Amino acid sequence: MNRKLVGALAVAGVAVLVMTGCAASAPKADSGPVTITYTNFISDGANVPNLTKIVTAFEKANPKITVNVKTIPYSGYATAQQTDLAAGTASDVFDIDGHSNYESLQANGQLAELGGVDSKVYNSGLLDTYQTAGKQYALPTSFSDVVLYYNKDLFDAAGVSYPTSSWTWADETAAAKKITDQAKGIWGDHQPVTYNEYYKALVQNGASFLSKDGKKTAFDTSAGLAAAKWLVDKSGTTMPTIADGQGTADFDTNLFAAGKLAMLHTGTWVFGNFAKVPFNWDIAVEPGNTQSASAVFSNGIGVYAKSKHIAAAEKWAIYMSSSTEEVNVRLDSGWELPTISDSAKLATYLSKGAPANRQAVFDAATKIAVSPSLGANSQAIQDAMTAALIEAQAGRETVQQALDSAKAKIDPLLAG
Amino acid sequence: MVDAASGLRVPKRRTFRTPEARTRLILAIVLHVVIVAGALAMFFPFLWTLITSITPGANLTNTPALIPANPSLGAYGKLFADLPFAQVILNSLILATITTVAQLITASTAAYAFSRLPFRGQNVVFGIYLATMMIPLQVLIVPLFVELKNFGLLDTYVGALLPTLAIAFGIFLLRQAINQVPRELDEAATIDGAGHFRMFWQIILPNIRPALATLVIFSFMGSWNSFLWPLIVLRSPQLQTLPIALAGLQGQYISQWDVIMAGSVVSILPMLALYVFAQKYVIQGVASSGIK
Amino acid sequence: MTAQTALLDKAPGFKHSRPVRDSASRSRRIKYTLTVLAFLLPSAIPLTLFVLGPMVAAAWVSLNQWNLLGPMKFVGFGNYIGLLKDPQTGAVFLHTVYYIVGYLPLVYFGGLALALALNTALKGRSLLRGIYFLPVITSWIVVALVWRWLLSPSNGIVNTVLAMVGIHGPGWWTDPTWSLPSIILASAWKDLGFVMVILLAGLQAIPTDLYDAAKVDGAGPWRRLISVTLPLLSPSTFFVIVISLVNGFQVFDQIYAMTGGGPNGSSESVVEQIYDFTFRYGRAGDASALSWMLFIVILAVTLIQIRGQKRWVTYG
Repeated sequence: MNRKLVGALAVAGVAVLVMTGCAASAPKADSGPVTITYTNFISDGANVPNLTKIVTAFEKANPKITVNVKTIPYSGYATAQQTDLAAGTASDVFDIDGHSNYESLQANGQLAELGGVDSKVYNSGLLDTYQTAGKQYALPTSFSDVVLYYNKDLFDAAGVSYPTSSWTWADETAAAKKITDQAKGIWGDHQPVTYNEYYKALVQNGASFLSKDGKKTAFDTSAGLAAAKWLVDKSGTTMPTIADGQGTADFDTNLFAAGKLAMLHTGTWVFGNFAKVPFNWDIAVEPGNTQSASAVFSNGIGVYAKSKHIAAAEKWAIYMSSSTEEVNVRLDSGWELPTISDSAKLATYLSKGAPANRQAVFDAATKIAVSPSLGANSQAIQDAMTAALIEAQAGRETVQQALDSAKAKIDPLLAG
Repeated sequence: MVDAASGLRVPKRRTFRTPEARTRLILAIVLHVVIVAGALAMFFPFLWTLITSITPGANLTNTPALIPANPSLGAYGKLFADLPFAQVILNSLILATITTVAQLITASTAAYAFSRLPFRGQNVVFGIYLATMMIPLQVLIVPLFVELKNFGLLDTYVGALLPTLAIAFGIFLLRQAINQVPRELDEAATIDGAGHFRMFWQIILPNIRPALATLVIFSFMGSWNSFLWPLIVLRSPQLQTLPIALAGLQGQYISQWDVIMAGSVVSILPMLALYVFAQKYVIQGVASSGIK
Repeated sequence: MTAQTALLDKAPGFKHSRPVRDSASRSRRIKYTLTVLAFLLPSAIPLTLFVLGPMVAAAWVSLNQWNLLGPMKFVGFGNYIGLLKDPQTGAVFLHTVYYIVGYLPLVYFGGLALALALNTALKGRSLLRGIYFLPVITSWIVVALVWRWLLSPSNGIVNTVLAMVGIHGPGWWTDPTWSLPSIILASAWKDLGFVMVILLAGLQAIPTDLYDAAKVDGAGPWRRLISVTLPLLSPSTFFVIVISLVNGFQVFDQIYAMTGGGPNGSSESVVEQIYDFTFRYGRAGDASALSWMLFIVILAVTLIQIRGQKRWVTYG
């Protein structure tokens, strides 16, 4: 029998070995040369040389600090980040994938408070995204926003005037209906039917996703229904249906690039996709209904709470989000927009070619539809909302039914 | 040149005199047509990948054009220019080769023990081995990662390799093959005074070459395509493997499909070459082993 | 050598109840034990350290609430009870079983037919084998893209062909009723080559003289298939079925790539749910509990197969 006992003990011993993390050692002041690690996804793919330029400039300005860069593909970043944090092996500085990633990291005490940030340097709306209870726990490194792309040639052919910043939903619908010509495969409009679009549409319609206290959903109003219909009813009238392929990767940008789509709601990250299209196009701030509001997506950078070199790490985080070198590298290479407030430094961006109305990118960022704080079940809530909207879009449920079932699923998730 | 196993016999001389022969010929033709049609269906996605890879700025959702408008090898150039591609391929080759060799050793020895070395509780132990396949990797990742941290093996190939050594799939595959080797061969060898190590090396291994070649294919493929575990455990740029470098081409917002497909082609070809090589070995292995 | 050839259960072990009579048999037994260990330890050590250990750790996690980022909170069997009460758990198991029931016959009989056909003296069979193996080595990302396109409801090849013969094709992966069948089709297509390779290796191991003997006895091709090929292929068949079932219960990659579990959760499988729990929803405790529930189901099914194999699997 003792053989079995030995076997059981061995397995148990291994299990203990598996689960023991190591105790965090207290951070100490940095003196002498230090090496900090930086895990990122933002340079993933083509931007590694650009990141290297910024790192080199930083090390030159701070000869005592060496930055050891590790790059992880975006598709695996969330998994790697959580594994690292669970095991206590996260880098001193790491990328944060937007607001909801920030919220969960901050709520679990994984981020060090950043004391030395000069808040004037940053675009204040973006900086706020990474604040909790008035304290700064991370910094925005870049941002993109969602705008309305439009194909000027299709507008001209249909005799419709171009979108302006004073447009409302009604103007957009009228134009889309006029331009849509299904026989020719020309569609007037495209907007994803997702949670991200919905919370923004709610704000555009004077409503909101959450109640004031943030403890339950608040889209069960006529304004909430109208916002859902705004998205869902496009499908099959001015926008291709799911059966046509709507909702699959790159479907919308390909359709626009092929000259078969008059208006496209998407992020500023696809400018490059339309660099060589044989028609004229431009962008405008998205129309609102009762008010204008745009979705802004940012990437953040934070310092690990258990880092042994918090001071040096903070220095790098600030440099990577607001230094002149970082701003210039980003602007020169077209690697997403920096998050600084000084518009003079961003001036070169405005004249970098199509689209002409690049000012709209900055205008959109002044009226931000702030993404709701969904708490610990954020991802599950977003998934449930998107799934419900798609049920309505596919016609398997009415919009009202879909909203009811979404509410029934989401309210318990908000309660915890 | 006739294989009874298929139940379809192609006569060497074409004699259409008897109705039976005619039926056979028709069957053979049908078989060929079905097989070739199936092969086309199987080949299509690879062809699609290939075409997309030489179409600059390729789309995905539109019907693929069989002849690209202005084909270019630019995507392949980009692959080697933007990524440390030669390094990454070399890394993957090294890791996959070591993994394959190591798995061959652990799987064949364990399979021999389960097939030829009876001991009390053998079925239970084999059951435990099999059971290890039944827990999804996704849930083991965090504990495994913490464990390797405690061993100080993070960011090393040893750390990437060790957890793959307990390959129940391979042990099971080889055990089935060894069970099929006639026991008379063992007995004959035992009379010649062979111990277990000699028996394993001289009798069993040569007689399970098809299964070993099969395991080589799957071990190599498993390592070559492995994404999640290497992603988590290998962090230094100089250790990166191919699937992770290719995943880097799919960005947060936009993906370069022509380059991704070029990478896909480059990653498929070595596997295909290995497969063709290993398959030849399967046939030759049997021809020369001379089972009676 | 009777010990080696006897049925495993009846074999003498290290700790036999019979008293040790003399030092010669004792040293023989020690030598035998050492031999067994030498063959077993190269795999047993990594297995214990890197699979069993983490499995036990996962069992511990399953008794806690844990979001990976914060501290663990012990809840006993609370996660299991919560999962058993959640209708979603039943749904993901049902989807997984549905997948297996559709996938297994397709891939097994398809793979068998392919292996038999490509084991004949077909012209260019090496090339054909290579082509049939291509999908196995192609990544699911690419395969999913292709199949979504083939099964595109409005302009995919499949529905276009169906329309030619007057059938209005379904919405495939965009339709909750057809999302799992779409995944089954794509999976069977991709794994056909896998089954083919295993069975081809199995066919190679069948001694040719058995066929000669059968021919002498006047057995026709069909008879030879039934009475020689299939029985002697049964160890490989057993392997394919066990592996396919284990893999089938863990179906994930294709669902992740083709539908992401949608539309509206209609193709969400157990492992897809486990992945979401762990890395998307911050519910590592629930993920571990669900994994252990899945483990028990797979173990039960595999044990039934191992019991049943004695009836139909014949070894050399």
